[in-house]
Amino acid sequence: MTFTEYLTRNYDNLLELGLEHLNLVLVSMGIALVVGLPLGIVAHRNGFLRNPILSTAGFFLTLPSLALFAIFIPVFGIGAPPAIAALSLYALLPIVSNTVAGLASVSPAVVKASQGMGMTGFQRLLRVELPLAWPVILTGIRVSTQVVVGIAAIAALVGGPGLGTEIFRGLRSQGNASAPNLVYGGTLGVIVLALLLDAAFLLIRRLTISRGIR
Amino acid sequence: MTTTDTLTQPGPARSGAKPMIELLGLTKRFPGTAEAAVDGLTLTVDEGEITVLVGPSGCGKTTSMELINRLIEPTSGRILIDGKDMTHTNPDELRRHIGYVIQETGLLPHRTIAQNVGIVPKLLGWDKARIAARVDELLEMVGMDPATYRGRYPKELSGGQRQRVGVARALAADPPVMLMDEPFGAIDPITRERLQNEFLRLQQQVRKTIIFVTHDIDEALKMGDRIAVLRNQSHIAQYDTPENLLTSPADDYVSDFIGTGASLKRLNLSRVRDIEMATDAPTASVSAPVAEVRAALLASSWTSLLLLDAAGRPVRWVTSRDLGRAERGAALADVGLPVEAIVEPHATLADALDELIASNVGCTVVVDGSGAYQGIVDLETIMIVVRTVRDEYERFHLAQKLAQQPADGRAR
Repeated sequence: MTFTEYLTRNYDNLLELGLEHLNLVLVSMGIALVVGLPLGIVAHRNGFLRNPILSTAGFFLTLPSLALFAIFIPVFGIGAPPAIAALSLYALLPIVSNTVAGLASVSPAVVKASQGMGMTGFQRLLRVELPLAWPVILTGIRVSTQVVVGIAAIAALVGGPGLGTEIFRGLRSQGNASAPNLVYGGTLGVIVLALLLDAAFLLIRRLTISRGIR
Repeated sequence: MTTTDTLTQPGPARSGAKPMIELLGLTKRFPGTAEAAVDGLTLTVDEGEITVLVGPSGCGKTTSMELINRLIEPTSGRILIDGKDMTHTNPDELRRHIGYVIQETGLLPHRTIAQNVGIVPKLLGWDKARIAARVDELLEMVGMDPATYRGRYPKELSGGQRQRVGVARALAADPPVMLMDEPFGAIDPITRERLQNEFLRLQQQVRKTIIFVTHDIDEALKMGDRIAVLRNQSHIAQYDTPENLLTSPADDYVSDFIGTGASLKRLNLSRVRDIEMATDAPTASVSAPVAEVRAALLASSWTSLLLLDAAGRPVRWVTSRDLGRAERGAALADVGLPVEAIVEPHATLADALDELIASNVGCTVVVDGSGAYQGIVDLETIMIVVRTVRDEYERFHLAQKLAQQPADGRAR
């Protein structure tokens, strides 16, 4: 069976796995954002907490991904939950560190003027600091997403969903004539997904960044 | 808080003015420093006046200003605005009623010019239509066409334009009080001069109570109704009118800070409107028949005549010879020299002198706000002022010298 034949026959299957993969990435990224953005803001505003927060987030990235997946099996069992937990932790560092860097890059004069005009701390954060830091933060989210799309393929080892299952099915059936097709098919799916997500980021960038700072 | 319609109306503010800003023993001691950054600053600013805090860098002038809108909380002392104690009120609420302009403008780069100007009104909860109307009014006021600029972003503006927007933004909610921290400091000298003049004209209309910080004594002399010369820790060396500062500096610190050339600095204090300008210069409409123009020139004692356009704005200087060319068929609008040296009545004599030197005619044309011809200032007029001032200054120093003589004599 040639690769083309494989693709035409398994198109539905690959599409379904791709959607599972995407779902896994989006859920993990969602959790990472909900945790990471506030952590980044706290780290920016509080000098004492900055280093502890950044080094903790950095620590997770140093763990081998396979080990991190395995660590969560006793807690969440097998399947999507341990995968989501591990991927969220992986996504954390670029989001937190870019939030800190983005907020730090906001011109002190702009912050001072906003304060001098009577904006409360919260208004300043929401209307001035976050919008100005947003390009840098968005870059962090994009990097995180790319990392997570790749690592999510390994989630299949802890019974997670996604294109990884196809790749590992191929690896396990070495010798079988169609085995390379499975590996290539899964890999191609991951690449296409990564490219699509990147394109989505370009669109989000255009839509959410003010013309004044582009 | 009350709106300030009464304050924005033009009118005499100097006579019987009431104190608008009162600082009482204002002190700031930053943690871990032995010396207070600002030590017991006591200062009263009258309604509608510009008070300039001037001093060398590190003397605490910016800190003093930031104590007033409590960007820095004072360690002790009190701040009274319009008689009300603001030392312990909500600082955000306080700042919405104090216009604030800083050197770096601090415009929000991700917001349009209109959004930037509308920030404080929005914080105060004005409705959209009222904000939009106010924004247009203010842009107009600072000399920027609303239709052209309201939708632009700060990065699309020049430094001078950005600072104009900064001033418009500070005026947006019509605050009675404004704080300006070296607002024209980062702008090239020519634009700075123009912005200073525009701001003084604006101030004639709006009559805000302003505290203005600068390290530049010339700017202080030009902008201030009163000037506080500060030394270390914001100790006031002298708080006086510009005239008194120049003619009778309190001590060596003040006279050193003012520097030499006080008589030329006085040119920064005298305005064109205060001196007698020549109004007998012959003028004619640029569309008038040449014969009529020549008759006007002949009837006067001047050697050249000023051509005005339909709105009364000066266009060209023409001499008898230029009129000869016009009689041979050239258009009046093409002969003679273009009018380059133009000042408005509130310009200082230094401005007028600058214009005069830069131009190739020996005089400066004075025009009103709409650009219509008012009169002429020539070098002679300006020299008379310089001479008077120099004589005054010399008399003062002579008197001082004579007064100190006996004491010195005894010491030796």
